[in-house]
Amino acid sequence: MGNPLLIFWRQVFGQEDDRRRVRRATLRVAAASAAQASATIFLVMRRMRVPLIVLITIFAVSVLGLTVIPGQDDQGRPWRMGFFDAFYVMSYTATTIGFGEIPYAFTYSQRMWVTISIYLAVIGWAYAIGSLLALLQDRAFRSALSLQHFTRKVARLREPFLLIAGYGRTGELLGHSFDALGRRFVVLDLSDERIDGLELGSYHADVPGLTADARDPGHLAVAGLDHPCCEAVVALTNDEEANLAVVMAAALLRPELPVIARVTSRTLSERMQAFGNPSTVNPFDRFGDHLRLALKAPASYQLLTWLESGPGAALPSRGAPPRDGRWIVCGYGRLGRELTADLRAEGLDVTVIESTPAQGEDADLLVGDGSDPWVLAQADLDRAVGLIAGTDNDTTNLSLVAAARRSNPSLFVAARQNRPASAPLFGAMDLDALLVPTEVVAHEVYAQLSTPLLWRFLREMPARGDRWAADLVGRLTDVCGTRLQALWKVRLTDEEAPALGSWLASGTAELGTLLRNPEDRADPLHAIVLLVVRGREVTLAPGDDFVLRSGDELLLAGWAAARRALDTICVVDAVREYVVTGRRVPSSWIWRKLSRGEPEVEEPATRPPAATRS
Amino acid sequence: MNLEKVVFGFFVLLAATLNFGFFIGDIDDPALHNPYELFAAVVVNLIATVLKFGDRTQIGAVHLATSLVADLQLIGAALMFGYAEYVSSAGMTPSWTASVVSLSGGALLANIVSVVLLVVETVSFHRG
Repeated sequence: MGNPLLIFWRQVFGQEDDRRRVRRATLRVAAASAAQASATIFLVMRRMRVPLIVLITIFAVSVLGLTVIPGQDDQGRPWRMGFFDAFYVMSYTATTIGFGEIPYAFTYSQRMWVTISIYLAVIGWAYAIGSLLALLQDRAFRSALSLQHFTRKVARLREPFLLIAGYGRTGELLGHSFDALGRRFVVLDLSDERIDGLELGSYHADVPGLTADARDPGHLAVAGLDHPCCEAVVALTNDEEANLAVVMAAALLRPELPVIARVTSRTLSERMQAFGNPSTVNPFDRFGDHLRLALKAPASYQLLTWLESGPGAALPSRGAPPRDGRWIVCGYGRLGRELTADLRAEGLDVTVIESTPAQGEDADLLVGDGSDPWVLAQADLDRAVGLIAGTDNDTTNLSLVAAARRSNPSLFVAARQNRPASAPLFGAMDLDALLVPTEVVAHEVYAQLSTPLLWRFLREMPARGDRWAADLVGRLTDVCGTRLQALWKVRLTDEEAPALGSWLASGTAELGTLLRNPEDRADPLHAIVLLVVRGREVTLAPGDDFVLRSGDELLLAGWAAARRALDTICVVDAVREYVVTGRRVPSSWIWRKLSRGEPEVEEPATRPPAATRS
Repeated sequence: MNLEKVVFGFFVLLAATLNFGFFIGDIDDPALHNPYELFAAVVVNLIATVLKFGDRTQIGAVHLATSLVADLQLIGAALMFGYAEYVSSAGMTPSWTASVVSLSGGALLANIVSVVLLVVETVSFHRG
């Protein structure tokens, strides 16, 4: 009973078995979907049976007729056509090429037969080619072909990729930021146009896309859910149910994969939480959190939005939302409720304007159309400090903003933009804060997936306070300018930074010594370390005197050139030696052997990082 | 009774019988091997092949494979026949005849496998 070997066996291989079972289940799901595709192709072959048989029969009858009907040779002797001649004549006649009467001029009986066979053969060809073309145009056939093409493309992916279900505005934004990072992704969407839009999306890498329902686990499996290189699943469709279905499929078939889903209601978010531990992104909730952060710590909010926007983003301006006074929220839908709750939690007064009367649980609820000047006057706009135009109609939001601005120019105005087409109008309005739900989701997903360290940084960062964030924004703009440059991760392990090993082990490896220009160590590298992770311990934006250790993970922001320089420092011993100690040592093996004696003796004694810093 | 099955069985069997008819007789005597029979065998084999298109079952796949083999061999035999008659100056010598007939013999084997498959399929079909 207590056989230790058996227990060991179960410990080691039991889990493996489980995993294999799950893998097999996914494979079956994918196979079912692929079988559907091949079924269509079999159907097409089946439909080609009749045209092909008609063609073969017509040919056979015509050829046979020609060999049987008596003819004459050039001397008038009786002659019969052989099979080869007959086949040759019929081939060029039936395909309307018409070389004439070969090898001898035909007799009248032969010509009669050839006349009949010409008409028969032309009909046969027309029928066969017509059916073939009709089948090629067939929708089912084309979608089967594209499914096979897609399956092949996904199966051939050999680098980590992201599975995006739902390629709307959010998916597009996310796709572009990931493409800029050089990461691959696969897209599923219901709409043909969006998948066709992938071709026009001008991505660096090839993006496999399939027009299919993401609720079908078979389609997810074909899109790479069971692919070993799939690194995460993102459900961004407009349909909450579909997102839930994607989360379910991913949690049941690949429990170890991270899943991120877009939701807009709390109930659905809770239903998703029942499946594994997917991270859900609710744009309205997030905007509420952002607004609270902006109220409390404008600089933290500025840093958060900047880092979330991805490489190349311009530094957003630091807003200063009024911290006390009364706010007006127009539209009491999903966004309105979240914001009202968030603002009240901050201890602010809120007046809500909503056109359709709700259940009337709110004391400060004004029923009426917000764009109506009379209603706005009722809300006592002149004495309010902030207004949020949060209805789901862009025209209403714009007119609300315009009306509010006219009666109270000093108002802090935030608005929600629903359709991407309205972006220039909202841009022209010069708002204090703009909510674009699709962008909120895209930025959030990007922050979670681009590097796990960034996500960690963003979660830890608000706790550091506003002053600290303002300081960091200042340091970042000193290094990068007002556009965010590359964000990358460095792991100080023996595999990824072999040149640093002995230096890290010495215990005096200060960060400021490492981030030096390999050409001239008096110059610092144009990069800032945002985060250092050591085991479970994180350090945000460490100073130059921070001591690094082997195994640390660093998140850096800075120029791409700095990234290349740091890579060189981590890998090439001679460069590391120069950067750390200021001594130029030969980098080639022969020269190192030749000049061996001196530096080796000296090495333990030379490490004056603080002294050489300029 | 399923008309599709009747047509299918008819062509598969006819392909085999025609092939057999051409094959039988002294292997090097051209007088015993009628070119019309070879022509008919080629045509019927082609039709049988097309009839087997689009069957997704395992047995359907083997059916198609045997037919393709038979087609390949019969068309090879027809090409050799044509070469001997039109290109080669010697005409249908015993050695050419033997080559043509032995190729058709290979096709016959494939056709027999096809018929066996048909019989197996029929026998293993249980009503109800």
